[in-house]
Amino acid sequence: MSAAMSSGRPSGRFPAILLSFVFAVIVLGPVAWALATSFKTEVEAVAVPPTLWPSTATLENYLKVFRDQSFLRDFWNSVAYSVGAVALALLVGIPAGYAAARFSFKGKRALMLTILATSMVPGVALLVPTFYLLDSIGLLNSGIVVTIILSARIIPQTVWFIANFVEAVPVEIEDSAFMDGANRFQIIWNLILPLIRPGIAAVATIGIVTTWNDYITVAVFAPDVAKRTLQVALVNQVFDAVGISWSYMMAFVVIASMPVILMFGLVQKWFISGLTAGAVKG
Amino acid sequence: MLASRTQAATTSPGVGVGDTPDTHNGVRFSWIPYLWFAPAILVLFLITLYPTFFVGWLSFQKTRYYELTGFVGLANYAEVLSSSAFWNTVFVSLTYVVGSLTGAVVLGMAAALVLNNAGPTGSVLRVFILFPWTLSMSVVGSIWLWLLNPSFGPIPYLMQVIGLEPGLMLGDPGLALPLIIIVTAWWSFPYVMVMATAAMQSIPQELYEAVEIDGGGALVKFRYVTLTHILPTLGSTALTLSIMYLTLMTLIIVMTGGGPLGSTTTLSFEAFRGTVQAVNIGPTAVVSIVVLLINVALGVVYTRLTGRVTG
Repeated sequence: MSAAMSSGRPSGRFPAILLSFVFAVIVLGPVAWALATSFKTEVEAVAVPPTLWPSTATLENYLKVFRDQSFLRDFWNSVAYSVGAVALALLVGIPAGYAAARFSFKGKRALMLTILATSMVPGVALLVPTFYLLDSIGLLNSGIVVTIILSARIIPQTVWFIANFVEAVPVEIEDSAFMDGANRFQIIWNLILPLIRPGIAAVATIGIVTTWNDYITVAVFAPDVAKRTLQVALVNQVFDAVGISWSYMMAFVVIASMPVILMFGLVQKWFISGLTAGAVKG
Repeated sequence: MLASRTQAATTSPGVGVGDTPDTHNGVRFSWIPYLWFAPAILVLFLITLYPTFFVGWLSFQKTRYYELTGFVGLANYAEVLSSSAFWNTVFVSLTYVVGSLTGAVVLGMAAALVLNNAGPTGSVLRVFILFPWTLSMSVVGSIWLWLLNPSFGPIPYLMQVIGLEPGLMLGDPGLALPLIIIVTAWWSFPYVMVMATAAMQSIPQELYEAVEIDGGGALVKFRYVTLTHILPTLGSTALTLSIMYLTLMTLIIVMTGGGPLGSTTTLSFEAFRGTVQAVNIGPTAVVSIVVLLINVALGVVYTRLTGRVTG
């Protein structure tokens, strides 16, 4: 554990502890500065010399964000796309992952390799063809299409994760349930899913963070203002360089990140296990 | 019920043609297992595979805006590969990936070692340090755009205080790429830290004790125990990040828009700009294919390295 390479004595740890705080400051300093800016008045935000702490803390920037007419719509789009994408990924990923772990049939390897191959195709390479195809069938600016595209990005990893989790469940448990007359769907629903719940939580957490944070997919395939997400709304402020208000923008940054911050705070264990799953090999 | 079950594969789901004791009345072909995969495959085919083939087809078409005006063979390839702008983009991408990777790996390793030796304090701080990794690229870009803002940003102000001339910061063609590399390393080194820590914590303690018995110091321990053991993890992490950096667009869109003077136009940014500007999508398709091929190559190496083939 943390004793690896350490001298063991708390006094010997002092330099390491000090350096750890240096790293924390490097990482969190910029974030803290953005947070402080969001509570400053527009005038104080651009004052020279800059103030570290707002002299008159104000919630004005936050209220302005909430009062903006498009905020609720942008927020709702963000929620709908990311929750929808993760739900769809689980809906198609659980059967595939279960079958990958439990069935043996001709062509399974080819199927799994196909899924692996799709995970290697970067979204950026598909911008032009997808835009062309959607445009030609009139499906640009469709919330459902954007949700499916976001979902397709996380389906491969969902299938692998589920397959690995199901494999870890002893097949004998299923056998005895079969003896008791349960069918396959009952077994998955009542037996397997509850057992692999931590795994599902890990995939879902990573999936929500990935899709919530997306800018490109929504910006390119749903350029309509009514279809945009918080991330797109934020970037549009950057482009609107004339009217830029830094304190307002930083408040927007905090609000647009709040769901993933909360999620990270609540389930950081799942988040980290999702990141490191399968990464450590002997 | 039991008879109709396809026998479960026990260990590796990948193999499984010959190991099935499905001998009741000979092997009957069944469509059932395929149905379980059908929804996932259908989505992946429509959203990923079909457009992948289509971009290949597009690259052989003469285009004007989004209109196709006929087959031109390799003309788009010739146009792209002979333009100096394209090679400049390749160079920017390479600089960006190598620079960011170096920064992220060095900082991430240092943070992993330091926090691993800081006891409980290290464990607590590790969670906080991972935090920026969850932020979106648009958020990270916005925060740094503000910090680096030459008129009001705190970083140019601090530079002035210590007697440096901040100049245009992101508006300076010589500084824009290095600054974006620094921001990328800042955002991604915590990921390296978490991966390296996970690998370090799986090293058996006896190995360190053995080195101690042989009189080896901290450096020997690091070189021959720690580094040797985490190298595979570090390799796969570096590949994951390379793929991420290669395909990253949003940070560049937010911070510089590819400029100034094209100094931050990477291959992926070019593919994005070509798509939204839509002046001539044939050459954009070629750039997309270049990104695709590099990505697949890195992905194949990653798969070999981690042994993750069939799940």
